[in-house]
Order: sequence, then structure tokens, then C-alpha cells
Amino acid sequence: MAKRSIADSYIRYVNQEVKEKPEKGWNHMVQGFQANKWRARLLPKGNLSRGYQKLEAMMMSLVADALSHKDRYVWGNIFAPCEIMQCFGVRTLSIECLSCYFSGYHLEDYFIDCAQNSGIAPTLCSYHKTFVGAVESGALQGPRYAVTTSLSCDGNLNTFRYLEKKIGVPFTFLDVPYRDDEESVEYLAGQLRDMTSRLEEVFGRRFDEETLRQAIRVENETRRELLKFYELEKQHYYPGEIISQLYLMMGTHLLMGTEEFLDLVRFMVQDIQTYPRLEGKRILWVHLLPFYQETLREYFNGSKKYQVIASDIVLDFAEELDETDPFRALAVKTIRNIYNGSYGHKAEALGRLAREMDADAVIHFCHWGCKQASGGSILLKEKMKELGIPMLILDGDGIDKRNSHDGQIKTRLEAFLEILDAGGEQKEGETC
Amino acid sequence: MLGYVCKYAPVEIFEYMGAEMCRIEPEVTNFSQADMRMHPNVCSFAKGVLEDVLEKDYEGVILTTCCDSIRRLYDVLKEQLPDRFIYMLDTPRITKDAGIRLYENRIREMIRAYEAFSGRRFDEAGFGAFLQKKKEEEDRREADSRLSVGIAGARANPNIEKILKQHHIRAAFDLTCTGLDRKILLEPEQVMTGYVRGLLSQFPCMRMEEAANRDQLIVRYAESADGLIYHTVQFCDNYAYEYAWLKQILKRPMLLLETDYTKQSYGQILTRIEAFLESLGREPAVSADRTGGNQTMYVLGIDSGSTSTNAVILDQDRKIRAFSVVRTGAKSGLSAQKILDEVLEKAGLKREDLSRIVSTGYGRVSIPFADENVTEISCHGKGAHYFNPKVRTILDIGGQDSKAIHLNAAGEVTDFVMNDKCAAGTGRFLEMIARSLEIGIDELGPAALQSTEDIEITSMCSVFAESEVISLIAQNKEKADIAAGICRSIAGKAYSLMKRVGLEPEFMMTGGVAKNPGVVRAVEEKIGAPLYICPEPEIVGAVGAALCALEQMGR
Repeated sequence: MAKRSIADSYIRYVNQEVKEKPEKGWNHMVQGFQANKWRARLLPKGNLSRGYQKLEAMMMSLVADALSHKDRYVWGNIFAPCEIMQCFGVRTLSIECLSCYFSGYHLEDYFIDCAQNSGIAPTLCSYHKTFVGAVESGALQGPRYAVTTSLSCDGNLNTFRYLEKKIGVPFTFLDVPYRDDEESVEYLAGQLRDMTSRLEEVFGRRFDEETLRQAIRVENETRRELLKFYELEKQHYYPGEIISQLYLMMGTHLLMGTEEFLDLVRFMVQDIQTYPRLEGKRILWVHLLPFYQETLREYFNGSKKYQVIASDIVLDFAEELDETDPFRALAVKTIRNIYNGSYGHKAEALGRLAREMDADAVIHFCHWGCKQASGGSILLKEKMKELGIPMLILDGDGIDKRNSHDGQIKTRLEAFLEILDAGGEQKEGETC
Repeated sequence: MLGYVCKYAPVEIFEYMGAEMCRIEPEVTNFSQADMRMHPNVCSFAKGVLEDVLEKDYEGVILTTCCDSIRRLYDVLKEQLPDRFIYMLDTPRITKDAGIRLYENRIREMIRAYEAFSGRRFDEAGFGAFLQKKKEEEDRREADSRLSVGIAGARANPNIEKILKQHHIRAAFDLTCTGLDRKILLEPEQVMTGYVRGLLSQFPCMRMEEAANRDQLIVRYAESADGLIYHTVQFCDNYAYEYAWLKQILKRPMLLLETDYTKQSYGQILTRIEAFLESLGREPAVSADRTGGNQTMYVLGIDSGSTSTNAVILDQDRKIRAFSVVRTGAKSGLSAQKILDEVLEKAGLKREDLSRIVSTGYGRVSIPFADENVTEISCHGKGAHYFNPKVRTILDIGGQDSKAIHLNAAGEVTDFVMNDKCAAGTGRFLEMIARSLEIGIDELGPAALQSTEDIEITSMCSVFAESEVISLIAQNKEKADIAAGICRSIAGKAYSLMKRVGLEPEFMMTGGVAKNPGVVRAVEEKIGAPLYICPEPEIVGAVGAALCALEQMGR
């Protein structure tokens, strides 16, 4: 209890300081992340399985340690090729994830208002608004470099360009072609090579291709282990929180190719086998998870009845990469990501995933401002109907509570779960 | 007929192959198909195109991978119209050689697909000759200039140019998605490569990598105009970044104009553009004849708002002779007649004694007896300056909209922003909440002042906020505390508007909501400064209109 109140007082203190003396606020924000790293290691949440406890601690360390030195990280989006940055001893921190961390200080609404007051569109993705607002407020300090991709949303190029103009963080922009063919792969692989030369200049280090090959080997192994974990998760109750899926997404996007993440996934594969059989429903979650939403936490966190077994944001690419030509391999990985190309292609992939995971239901969360996800939600619903898998579409906001009405989400979710429970073994393809 | 939406679409290729090309410019009354098949939060232009294509008989549509909304539009069209030529052209964002090579091959593939679909044939040498002819035509065309307003931002809604034309102001330039004339590059040795190079070297849109220099180009272009209209489309967020940046570096007056491609939005566009033109001082001068009156001159200003219609009679010395406020009924014209009779009676004057009548407010064009109409932005500016010349920032919260206006020392409008798309933060919103709290609208403000507990209303949408209030009532929260929470929520929105015009003191609040002490206190707390409120805050716009009438009479 006492610890909780110390943490709360610190959050309140930083929240005020960022608003009143933004130039001082940043250091205290980073110190708070450090403290949280130790909290996650020493006092993990008791309701989580051991694997998810370790995962949370790892993601806290990633952010806290990287932010402590401006030379240790680049800003990225979640599709930036972290494997290449790792060859320079540099972490990739995606701005979407960092926005979520800022919300730990309840600063997201303040930052979003700062962005909107400067003229940024209120209808833009809230993660991007939070990040731009953090810069506008004067609180956020930048690294030396940034890397972003055109995958999967419009905001990327424009946000990074704005940040470059505003506080001078130069960046590489990777244009990911829409089509999956040889020509696209060549086009993107060329850009990845150019980016690598640019990083050599920025960080003053030589690039070693063998290091990248090794990262790809580790990545392939991690993916194999992850698929084993998912196979086991169909059968075992493995308590997590909805935020655990976001941490897993951070792992598969920002730490892919590292030994430490591979070790963690291996541990999870062993650990899950010690947990009891899953008796509840298996939910496949599509798109982002609003980790703060009361109703969703109540229904899914640690639940034996409804387990979120997978999310497309974690499993967005599942093939083996060819380590002999690592740049081409990373280009293929990005182009074949399920977020790239037509929604028809994505709906097919999600249909396959739902079947492979024996999902009892699918929940698609339409995050405010995300046109590429929201715009395809009806197509996905049709696909799931065809497969006879019930699907619920929820509208809300992954970070800004003001755009997400808990009462409305509660009514929709409860009605859906009632239908699901009533359906029992039969899956008649209700969609809501 | 083949439809297209983007300036990077290789229109000339299809024209050469004998297809009739049509740039899709939707103007729809609703998004019923789009809301059903896509999602309400997708860009309004993309939704409009979906409605348009489903309704009309296009042979096909050529789309480019320009943005998230258009990518999803393709998915839906492809599914809905499987027999048409719905083609997604993968357009690179990089315009260097690698991009040109990729785009050229993509276009060649598209040609093959269209040949198979239509049975028409493409021949590169023939296309070269076709381009040659086009280029000659292009060279003959001379630019028409000496114009005063430029347009930049997202694809310009055709109504913008229409309105500028009606006001005898021509566009100095149009740098939006569709505005530029295509530059045709002819390289006889490699016709296609040259053509594609030309396509990709157009004025870059925001999705292109090289758009980094757009701001400097726009600043340079803007020097040739008196002002810039920066257009954005609702739910198209790409251009707001540039607006936010340009606001910091551009020296010329700039209007941010957001549209949604519906027919209904015309009125909102009109008010903003007219107010902007008025602030540029470029509205053509009105030659005003004395229409009535003899010894002492009287003029009438009438402000037809959504909630109340207000009228003021001024004499030639700018003194208020009489004023009146009536509730606007279903027909603003009828309320106008009623208020005219009433204010004339109060002033002891007859209709013939009025030399000139100027109307303002959203119903300004429906006042049959007005000699002239002026937007409420300019009128509030003039009215505020009349009551207190020290005022630099005005907050006007009316029944259905709210706005912030910045004035210079001379009382001229230099900047303004408006919210007229969303009920939250307006008088209507307060009425809704008062109903939920079961108290009169006049009681809500005084009740808020009695509050003892801080309650935060977090929802930004009026519908959500109302249900939040209902749940607070269910939790037995005090009405006074809820009322104060609502006032703070309105103050928060007001603060954002005021901040966007610069927050320069001193401050004044006008409109009916200025009579609500709860909102006034909340706004004052938020801005940390007092608000000047004149004795009848509802008539400020009407006073401004009357002042316009006097000016037009040469006073």
C-alpha cells in the first residue's frame, strides 16, 4: 500500500512538473521508468504468469535503459528494422510504444491537447498526437537519429518529418511498396542498404554483415519457438493482461533477433507447460489493445474464462528468413507483413490464423484515427462470417480515454460474450 | 469512363488508349454506403468517392496507394464491383531513379491489365506522338495571373474556387492534390521513362519523401498572394502537420479550412472564406446609397443566430438607439421580421427611417430586407472593438458554434478559428446537460458556482459527455459539482480555440453563453485572466453589423 502511494505521488509530481517546467520534466520521467524497471524485476505482478512477468520486466528495461543515453537508441515505428540498428549497438524505440509509456504519467491528454492546439488534426491517430504533443510541450528530448517506414500508416512519414523540422532529429524513411514481388523486394533492400551506410556515418561504427546474419538466425529460431508457444497456448491457461500482448508486440518488433528475447520465448515455452489446461474461450485479438479500459481489464486480465491467445500485432509475419542475404530477407519480411498490401490479403491471413489458433471468437478494435484498420473492419467481419467465427467490432482509442466510452464498450462486449457463452460448441457465425 | 483521384495517376496513357478520363469530385448528401462498408472515421473524400462510384456507371477506377483511406477504398470497391476495372497502382514515395524504375514497371503492368480488360491496345511510339501533341497544347496555354488568394493543402474542394470566383477573387495558385497542371516530359529515346519522370516530379504531395521542401516552396508561392487558404479534408490528417508548421513560419494571413465533401458543408465553407476575405480587406467595396431616413441617420444591424436573433439600431454618432433579442424560430426569416417590428417600436422609428440594414449570423442570407450581409466573424470583431478597444482576443460561444477571434489594435480581424461541426462546447450542449440535470439553463451557471467537489468530465463528444453526466447522476453526485465539471469542459474547448489565435490579452466573451457565470469563471481560471463582458453580450454581433452599415454609408 505504502509503495503504491509513493509511486502515485511520484506520478503526480512528474505530471505537474512536465506541465510547469517541461525542460526539467524529462529527466524525472526517465528516472521514473528506471524505478519501474526495478519494480517489475523485484516485485512482479502476482496475477501474471512467470513468462509475462519476465516479459514486462524486459520491456521496462528496454525503454528505461535506452532512454538514459541519447546515443543508445533511435526513434522508430514498430516496423523499422530493429535488427539493423542492433548491429550498431543501438535500440529502436517506437514512438507508438513510447506514447504508451508517457501515459503512465497520465500525460497523454495534456500532450494530445498540446498537439491539437498547435494545429495537428484531432482525427489523427492518438499515439502520434501524444508523441507530437510531447515534443510541442517542450518536455521530450530526442535521440540522434530516427528510422521509420511507410508501413503501416500515413502518420509515420509526416510525424517524423514534423519532428525533424521541430527539434532536428534526422531520419531515414523506408518506402515499403504495396505489391509483393521481386521488384518490390529489390527496391526496399536497396533502401535498407542505403540506410545502413547512413547509420555508419551517424554512429561512427562500421557495419558487419555477419552480425546481421546472426541476428536473422536468432530471429528465425525465436519465431519457431514463438509458434511452439502459441500452439501450447491453445491448450494451457497462461494468465496475462491485455497489456501483455502489447509487450509481446514490443518484443517481436523491437527486440527481434536478440538472444535475450529468444531466451525469454524459450522460457515461456517451458513455463506454459506447467500451467493447467485452458477451459475457457480462446479470443483472437485484432489490432491494438486499449490497456487502460476498465471493462476489458475486468474481463480479460488473468481470466480463466476468456483468454486472449494471440493478436495480429504480434504475429504479423511468420515465415523463415533467408540469412544468406539479410537485406533481402528483411525486405521480404516487411513487404509480406500482413499489414502491407490489400485488406483481402490480410483478411485471408487472419482467417488462417483464427483457424490455426482454434479461436472461438475474434475481437477487432478500431483505434481512433487508424484508417487502415477501421476501414477494413467490415471486410474482416465478412471473412469471419464465412468461416463461422463470431466477431465483435469495438470502437475506441488505444490511449486517449476521452475517445473511448467504457459504458458503450461494456454493453457491446457483454452482449457478445453472452452470445458466445450461449453458443457453446456451436459456432453459427454470429457477428456483432 | 474511367475515374481517377490522384495527380500521380497516368491519365494520359488511358486517354491515348481511347478511354474517357474523369477526375472524381464527389458531392454527396450522406455517407450511408461508406459508413456501412468502411467505417465512419475514414477520410471524407474517400467515403465520398465510394458513394459516387457505387452510384454512377464508371467502367473502372484507377487508384494509387496514396494513403490509408484510399487503400481501404480500393479493397471495398474491388469487393463490391468485381466486374469493373478497379486498379490499385503501387506509387512509390521516392522520386529518385529507383522510384521511377519501379513506377514505370508498375504502369506497364497496369497497361497490360487494361489491355486484357478492355481489348484496347497500347503502343509506345504512338503514345510518344500523343504526348508530343499534348505538350504543344500545354505550351500554348498561358498562365492567367494577378490574383490574390492561393490554395494549398489537401485536394481543393471545387466549392472553394467557386466561392472565390463569386467574390471576384481568383486563385493565385493551387498547390493541392489536383490543382497543378501536369508537366509533360518528352524523352524520345525512352518515352515511358520520361513520362513517368514527369509524373513523379510534380509538386510533391505530403505522402512523397521529397515533400520536406514543400514548406519553403509554399512560403515562396504565398508571397505572390495576399493570403493563403489551407485546405484539409475531415479525417485526412496528413496536411494538418504542414498547417501546424506553416503557421509558425508563414508571414501571410492563412485560413485553415476543413471540408467533408458533403453538399451541406457549403454554408460552413462560405462563412469562413467570406470572413477571411473580409479580414484581408479585399471584399469589393459596396457603394451604398441611402435607402431611407432624412435628418438623423439610423442604421440597423441584425444578427440571425441559431438560438436568438438580435437587432440593434445605431444612429450616425454610433450610439445605440434600441436593441432587441428574440428566440430564433424554425424560420429565420420570420424571426427577422418579428425583430424588425419590435426594435423599430422600441426605437420609436419607422422602416423608412433606416438608411441601411446589414445582416450577419448563420441566417444572414435569409433576411429578405437586408441591404448587405457580412459574416459574424467580422461583426463580432467590430462589435467587440466598439465596446472595449483594448480587446485583442474574443471568445464567442453561441447556440450552435463557438469561435475565437484575434483583433489588432485597430480592431481588425487578423485571425479566427471556428467550431461549428461538433455540439460539444456550444450553448446547445449546455441546454442538453441542463435537461439531464433537470434544471433550467439559467440555473446551470449559478449552480456551478456552488460546487464543492472537482468532477472531471473526460468525454470530448457531447453524446458521450451526456451519458457520462447520466452516470454521475446515478452515482448521486451533486448537481452543482456536475455543472461545474461541464463548465470546465466547455472552458477547456474554449481555451484550445483561443490558444490557436494566440491568447493575446485583453479578453472578451460574447454570445449567449457569456451570461453563464459558471462558464465565465471556468474560462477565466483556464486563461488566468479576466474576461470583459459587456452588459448585453448577445448583441455584439448585431452592433458590429450596424457599424458595418454606418461604414458603408461613409460614416
